[in-house]
Amino acid sequence: MNEPLLLFDQVSLRFGGVVALNDVSFTVEPGELFAIIGPNGAGKTSIFNCLNGVYRPESGEINFCGRPLVGLKPTEIAGLGVARTFQNLGLFSNLNLVDNLMLGRHLLMKSGFVSGALWFGRARREEIEHRAGVEEIIDFLELQPYRRSPVGMLPYGIQKRIELGRALSMEPTLLLLDEPVAGMNLEETEDMARFIIEIRNDLHIAMILVEHDMHMVMDIADRVMALNFGQSLATGLPADIQSDPEVIAAYLGETA
Amino acid sequence: MSTDSGPEHAAPAAPGKGAPRLRLRPATTMHVRYRDDLRLFPNRLRRSALAALILIWAFIPVFWDVPPFTLLSGNGISLNTLAYAGVFSIAAIGLNLLTGYTGQVSLGHSVFLAVGAYSTAYAGSVWGWPMWLWIFFAPALGWLLGAAIGPFALRLRGNYLVIVTLGLVFIGEHIFRNWRSVTGGNAGTSAAGVELNLGFVDFENLSLFGKSFGKDESFFWLIWLLVAVVAWLTKNVVRTRPGRALQAVRDRDIAAEIIGIDVGIAGYKTQAFAWSAAIAALAGALYAPLQLFISPGDFTLLVSIQFIAMIILGGMGTIYGSIIGALVITALPRLIDGISADYGVPGVAAKSTDSGLVSVASLNVIIYGFLIALFLLVEHRGLAGIWVRIRNYFSTWPFSY
Repeated sequence: MNEPLLLFDQVSLRFGGVVALNDVSFTVEPGELFAIIGPNGAGKTSIFNCLNGVYRPESGEINFCGRPLVGLKPTEIAGLGVARTFQNLGLFSNLNLVDNLMLGRHLLMKSGFVSGALWFGRARREEIEHRAGVEEIIDFLELQPYRRSPVGMLPYGIQKRIELGRALSMEPTLLLLDEPVAGMNLEETEDMARFIIEIRNDLHIAMILVEHDMHMVMDIADRVMALNFGQSLATGLPADIQSDPEVIAAYLGETA
Repeated sequence: MSTDSGPEHAAPAAPGKGAPRLRLRPATTMHVRYRDDLRLFPNRLRRSALAALILIWAFIPVFWDVPPFTLLSGNGISLNTLAYAGVFSIAAIGLNLLTGYTGQVSLGHSVFLAVGAYSTAYAGSVWGWPMWLWIFFAPALGWLLGAAIGPFALRLRGNYLVIVTLGLVFIGEHIFRNWRSVTGGNAGTSAAGVELNLGFVDFENLSLFGKSFGKDESFFWLIWLLVAVVAWLTKNVVRTRPGRALQAVRDRDIAAEIIGIDVGIAGYKTQAFAWSAAIAALAGALYAPLQLFISPGDFTLLVSIQFIAMIILGGMGTIYGSIIGALVITALPRLIDGISADYGVPGVAAKSTDSGLVSVASLNVIIYGFLIALFLLVEHRGLAGIWVRIRNYFSTWPFSY
């Protein structure tokens, strides 16, 4: 059997007495859309923060493409091809759409202060080359009308989409989506779901999706893991998770 | 009147002679190639405006005593004032790189100006270094100092960083007052011996087209040429990869780290600090030979605050705003001095012997404080922000909504 793309093995994370993650294990295969569900405070975002290197787990191992991630800095992990969107928007709000997406390509570009200052030569060549890559993503996510607007002034749904675009412009192999449709109306949710499916089908990028919108998760995810109080309750196909008694108990309370 | 109309009258809706005709003009320029889209001055109007501005500015030393420039030159603004404004423009661009673009407020900018000034005075007059050498020596030294101090200062954020850089001003002043062999202590040191020529170009006695120009004129050209060079280089930095990274750090540093931008010890904050210090030191290198004599009193906390005032007034996060801010902050006090001395403003004492409600010096401080407060409250993007609004109004006219 092939190596999984991501191996998350018995990871535990504590903040003082609070157990954020307790022996959580799962794997993500290349090109798979893996969803993590769970009530508020279940530890979903903590998993992302461990993956990104923002938090360092107390025990357990995280392997990405066969390389251990624990102990690496966020920038190094980004360099390995892990991209992320944020629950509460992590955009650079004073910059415009093009600059935000160009920032996603920061690690793919090279020019520094000196070559940037001189402009003619590497900096200009890079700007043109990567602008073309950015434009592909603008087309893919249908963001054409917003190129020059400071992103902080755009509607929330568009900002969420731009954040997805910034993560995509990193050309990642694993994409972490933290509640991409939180606070969106039905129409915006359907758009976002369509983009996520297109990313999986056309770009073949593996994704981990943390989401509260059960309809969307059950419709589009390949596999689902349910989490409660830092414990992994069940992992499996969406249909199996929906009928799992423990998951139902966690969401709806114990049956009488 | 005959209603029998020939074919020339067949189109009654056609406008007659002199009637207004609607001319369609695109509101913005449509680019179809990335390299056109990336130009600094994207259309012909802006390019000609820039060329005109450069031309007028270049001829200022020649025509400074001719109307309409006498409006300024007759009221206290000499070529020398404009040269100072140029020096401060360079320094303000440096501070804007750190504060406006990277979001790190520093009160220590005057220290790096001083480092550039003292090192030029020393290298130029004691070691006798030629101009092409000291003009690179000062920024290099400033860069090294900034890179050495940056990692320590930048461990802190916001108000704490301000306090640490405030400490830097006092440490700097202490060193300038006590390292007598280099700085001359409290009395200061002379930069009169600094060599001011690049090959055949002598900046103290410049001959151009058969005319001879003194230090005032040639320094104006030298300094403003360097303003243009520094502005162009810095603008390029902020519109390419490193500059975008700085702005990302300013807007949201955790997200910046997760997309791969290094904000650690050797990261972008420190690099911004170092380059900002280098630019300030270059300004200092020009300040010393311009002023001829420098002392610790020239590099106090007040000078740092002036730089902050320049970028607030001119526009945070813009390069041309730094230049406009430096011009206004440098020229305004002289203008107020000149006008109150020449015409007499009621209630203002132009000389210490005059009677009046406020002295000119206090009036300067009042106007200065008022302007900063006004801009922070009303237009926090500064004069650059006002300019952008005017430009947008006209570029979308008559449908400016």
